[in-house]
Amino acid sequence: MKTFGDLTAVDGVSLTISAGETFGLLGPNGAGKTTAISMICGLLRPDEGSVTVAGEPITTTSTRGRSAIGLVPQDLAIYPDLTGEENLKFFGRLYGMTGAPLASRVGEVLDLVGLAERKDDHSKEYSGGMKRRLNIGIGLLHKPQLLVLDEPTVGVDPQSRNAILESVENLSTEGMAVLYTTHYMEEAERLCDRVAIIDEGTVQAEGTRRELVSLVGEKDRVAISGTGNLVDATEALRRIPGVTDASSSDQRIDVLATDASAILPELLASVSSSGGSITGVEVEEPNLEAVFLHLTGKALRD
Amino acid sequence: MPASLRIAGKDLRLRIRDRSALILGILAPLVLSYIFFLVFGPATTGQGLGLEFGVVDEDQSGISTSFTSVLESAAAEGIVELSVFDDQAAADGALKEGDVDSYFLMPEGLEQAVFANQPAIIEVVGDVDAPNSTQIAASFAERFSSGIAASQLAVVTAATVEGVQVTPDFIQSLSQQPSVAGMNYALIDETATTKQLDAPTFFAAGMAVFFLFFTVQFGVTGLLEEDRDGTLARLMAAPIPRVSVVAGKAIVSFLLGIISISVLVVATTFLMDATWGAPLGVALLVIAGVLAAVGIMGLVASVAKTPEGSGNLGSIIAVVLGMLGGTFFPIASSGGILASLTYLTPHAWFMRGLADLSSASPWTDALPATGAIMVFAVVTGSLAFLLLRRRLQK
Repeated sequence: MKTFGDLTAVDGVSLTISAGETFGLLGPNGAGKTTAISMICGLLRPDEGSVTVAGEPITTTSTRGRSAIGLVPQDLAIYPDLTGEENLKFFGRLYGMTGAPLASRVGEVLDLVGLAERKDDHSKEYSGGMKRRLNIGIGLLHKPQLLVLDEPTVGVDPQSRNAILESVENLSTEGMAVLYTTHYMEEAERLCDRVAIIDEGTVQAEGTRRELVSLVGEKDRVAISGTGNLVDATEALRRIPGVTDASSSDQRIDVLATDASAILPELLASVSSSGGSITGVEVEEPNLEAVFLHLTGKALRD
Repeated sequence: MPASLRIAGKDLRLRIRDRSALILGILAPLVLSYIFFLVFGPATTGQGLGLEFGVVDEDQSGISTSFTSVLESAAAEGIVELSVFDDQAAADGALKEGDVDSYFLMPEGLEQAVFANQPAIIEVVGDVDAPNSTQIAASFAERFSSGIAASQLAVVTAATVEGVQVTPDFIQSLSQQPSVAGMNYALIDETATTKQLDAPTFFAAGMAVFFLFFTVQFGVTGLLEEDRDGTLARLMAAPIPRVSVVAGKAIVSFLLGIISISVLVVATTFLMDATWGAPLGVALLVIAGVLAAVGIMGLVASVAKTPEGSGNLGSIIAVVLGMLGGTFFPIASSGGILASLTYLTPHAWFMRGLADLSSASPWTDALPATGAIMVFAVVTGSLAFLLLRRRLQK
């Protein structure tokens, strides 16, 4: 828990992240995401509660444990008048890396973030996307056990954003635990194994995407366009396990199902066998935006 | 290597690339001290004022000759350069050519007027481009005329007392007696007796300590810049003690200050013939002065909210302390409340310490001033450290 005067910024946030897992903290601006991860990284002292990473307590006074964390802040945290390589080497040395191992790892990271050819340029000469990649590279440099990324794609062009997301996807395959905060639903859905939805400093719900969706009763929607005997087809669809409702209108059948992707072949076969002729299919899965809206009554991005 | 040294190394690299530290720390004080020396230096000693006077004696009397003798004495002391002209036309020509700054014209009938108890008028003709010299010449003439007037009064008084008339013979008899109002000009070498800094050293030291406070700002203000630029979060997330961030900035301030003053000491010694004194004593004063500057500017950074705010507040404090501390003018010798207030600044103690080292004094003579400066350093540095550390552990 953390308060600033009369404002309770974070209250009752409790997270457990496993090695190799990408955990998302999804919420709008001002929800308390940055405050939460500041406490996790030892930047802010919690008023209540504690943080443990890789078995080590994380506090604002103790240095132990902080080497297990790699931070990628929301604001760019690079020195404009140092080159990309110099930035990496400086922070690497703060994490106890020196000599040949440091030089080697710096080279690896520069390749990883696609800045090897610009390593000798001052970072102030980089584009916005390149600066963001360097920002991430610094967080990765010492191979942390927990990588914390605070909205790393804010203000980034689509190409660089995609590159960043791909990089993050690869991290969990290397056994790194990742805590990813964002207010973009699609990023959370793409990257995260589990997501905690946070608003006004408290966690509203937590789980996999599927669990969150079912938690609030959202169903997949399947819109089947067709001709022929759609009335009988609709009746047949209602009898398929997993279908909660089906209705027909002009040359279209709307189906609500708990897991459309699992029963879609059966749905289509049923329509065909009932005398219907399918001209088009559209599957709409409920997303986290809908979950957030259901839980909080407001959109992720107002 | 400790994290504080790594942070200091990084900051030093950045400050060298950002040439403003070099400009403000070395170039500006060097240039300014040299300019100040050229402009004000001669006036502080009286030597080499560069006064070029001329004199035209159209009266050729005892009084006019007496005035010319006074000028010749001043020339012999090296205070002025004197040219004697036969007539006013020659003097005008020399004035026009720039050979003299001004000339004195003692018109025919000067002594006659004096004996007739009339005012003694000596004309001063000056070059419009040499107002200072002309003003000084006018003062010379005024002083002599005042002396004449005093003598006239004495003569009348004596005549009244003795019940005689004022006649040339009476005046002549009086003139054999010691002059009532003499004009004595002597160059007094004060440096050996009162331990004052000579002009080049005064201005070099003054500018060095004045700009020191601007130079050290580059280090401590860096903490606020890191906060503004986002890199402070990374530093605090790293497995290093929080205090090492503060220490790193302080180290940079200290090194920049030492480098700045050291370069100025060496440069002004060769360029301006500044005499700083016993090296060990100077070193102690420099170290203490830099520590005091770091402490004071660290305190400023600890209370400021932004680097711009720290810079503004720091500049104000640096200017006020510099002026009050006598880095531009020797306030300590001015008397009054300022002479007491000046010692509330480390600047004044720094200048005092250097003055104590003048005239080949041993290095130990700088110890009292060094101690006083260290009080500033310890008090302000401790406060700054506590406030900055508290700021980083929120």
